[in-house]
Amino acid sequence: MTKEELLKDAFDSIVDCDETMALKVLKDAEAMGIDPVELLSKGYSAGIKHLGDLFGRGEVFLPELIFSTEVMRMVTTEIESKMEASEIESKGVMVIGTVLGDVHDIGKGIVASLVKTNGIQVYDLGREVPAEVFIEKAIEYHADILGSSALLTTTMTEQKKIEDLMVSSGLKGKVKTMVGGAPVTKRWAEKIGADYYCEDATDTVKFALEVLTATT
Amino acid sequence: MNSMERITLTLQHKEADRVPVYPLLNSVSRKALGITYEEWSKDAEKCAASIIKATEEIGADCICTLVDLTVEAADWGQEVVYHDNLAANPNLNNRYIKSADEYDKVGVINPRETPRMSEHIRLAKLLYEAKGQEMPIIGFVFGPLGILSMMRGQEQMFMDLIRCPQKMQGALRNITETLKEFCAALIEAGCHAIMFDTLYASRTIMSPKMWDDNEGVYIEELSDFVREKGAMVMLHNCGAGVYFKEQIARMNPVAISYQHIPLDCTDMEDVKAKYGDKVTLIGHIEPGWLFAATEEELREMCRKQIDAYKKGGGFILATGCEYPALMDFDYAKIIVEEAKTYGKYE
Repeated sequence: MTKEELLKDAFDSIVDCDETMALKVLKDAEAMGIDPVELLSKGYSAGIKHLGDLFGRGEVFLPELIFSTEVMRMVTTEIESKMEASEIESKGVMVIGTVLGDVHDIGKGIVASLVKTNGIQVYDLGREVPAEVFIEKAIEYHADILGSSALLTTTMTEQKKIEDLMVSSGLKGKVKTMVGGAPVTKRWAEKIGADYYCEDATDTVKFALEVLTATT
Repeated sequence: MNSMERITLTLQHKEADRVPVYPLLNSVSRKALGITYEEWSKDAEKCAASIIKATEEIGADCICTLVDLTVEAADWGQEVVYHDNLAANPNLNNRYIKSADEYDKVGVINPRETPRMSEHIRLAKLLYEAKGQEMPIIGFVFGPLGILSMMRGQEQMFMDLIRCPQKMQGALRNITETLKEFCAALIEAGCHAIMFDTLYASRTIMSPKMWDDNEGVYIEELSDFVREKGAMVMLHNCGAGVYFKEQIARMNPVAISYQHIPLDCTDMEDVKAKYGDKVTLIGHIEPGWLFAATEEELREMCRKQIDAYKKGGGFILATGCEYPALMDFDYAKIIVEEAKTYGKYE
């Protein structure tokens, strides 16, 4: 098997939700002495980006995306454990979480994975995150972007609280805010003063890369 | 014309005196009595009293028994966390089904005897006794796949659907058998219709085939059962890109409550043209949108929807999902007012 064939298998394993194949490719690559960074970027990561595009176009669905994201997490953890810290490039930093009172985190988890796949360091704060913690962590991790997700009309008001704290803490303008979640709308984002409304994971990646391109 | 007559004509695709209206007044109704979410969820008397009071104050044309999405799962043993100001949710750290090998734990249970479903049946009875002669009472029942996800966790269930869907079919079968009895009891309590929440039948969640293979087959049986018991079948799905065609094929509902334009339609006019003669359309003002909308914008939205859908009946002006629990009643009253004025038939 050539290197190109192996990279294609890595790509296909993610697109086809084939965890057995993904793990086999990992072993084969090691045996063939293939650079793990190349395997990750040209194989698995290329696969998850393609899957994200297919999801954005409605050609694949949430279960497939979740499944492949999990496979991606497994192989990424494995590969990163073998890499020097200096080999892991980062275009910028994003903190992300689901707002206080909200236990939903599937969408947020997918967003975090796809953003990470695009070379951005992501600190996933989990679910039910108080507004104050978003701010603390954005400062602590020197974040470029703060993303918050709300899946309920009873919790989306927390995103307003985050925006208010962004202003009072002096972070507004220095850190870009992104809001998303089922009941969240562009109008809501504008009303509370968020910088970006992200309808889905693809939007988030696009805007995050925009932000980081503009700041570099 | 009372609400019952108005909605009956509407469901027959005839024009009543005006467009009926229902801003999905569920948990927000607890404000009418000033009680917590937990009290409202657990106590049928208080829940019924608040729904009735809010319905009368706001002037809605029907009542739906939606409380929260844990009602059924709780009775199989899923631990539920209750809150004062938020809807109950399953304990995410303590799922009833902890691995794909535990789906067999889900047996057939008797909803007339289990705590939350029996309370829900009692709620339906109280609502019927108070309002059932003047307006339709709609029993709200979560679909089998939705219930299973409450017990397993959505993320895990989605992965199981890819890895080992056969392992969950026994559980889905047992949930379906239980729901038949639940529906029968709700209908006996007075519900004129059962509204199934088919949460996952939309483009935002799963493919039409995955939905059809794993819920379509069961929901068809349930829909047939409800009709055999003499009640109407309705469905609610607030996902984006909802699958109307596939669900109509399985369920043949009289009405669909929806929030977003269906997958195979381009705009409201297209929805009316494709489905307006097949089902009554219930919708579809977005609750999240209400938070940022002005009163004028809300009136404009109501009018836009009335213009697109009212002709020939078959339309109930409504929110696309539950009216926001954090808002006061003012916007609900505006929606009702628009139906009563702009929604008049000549």
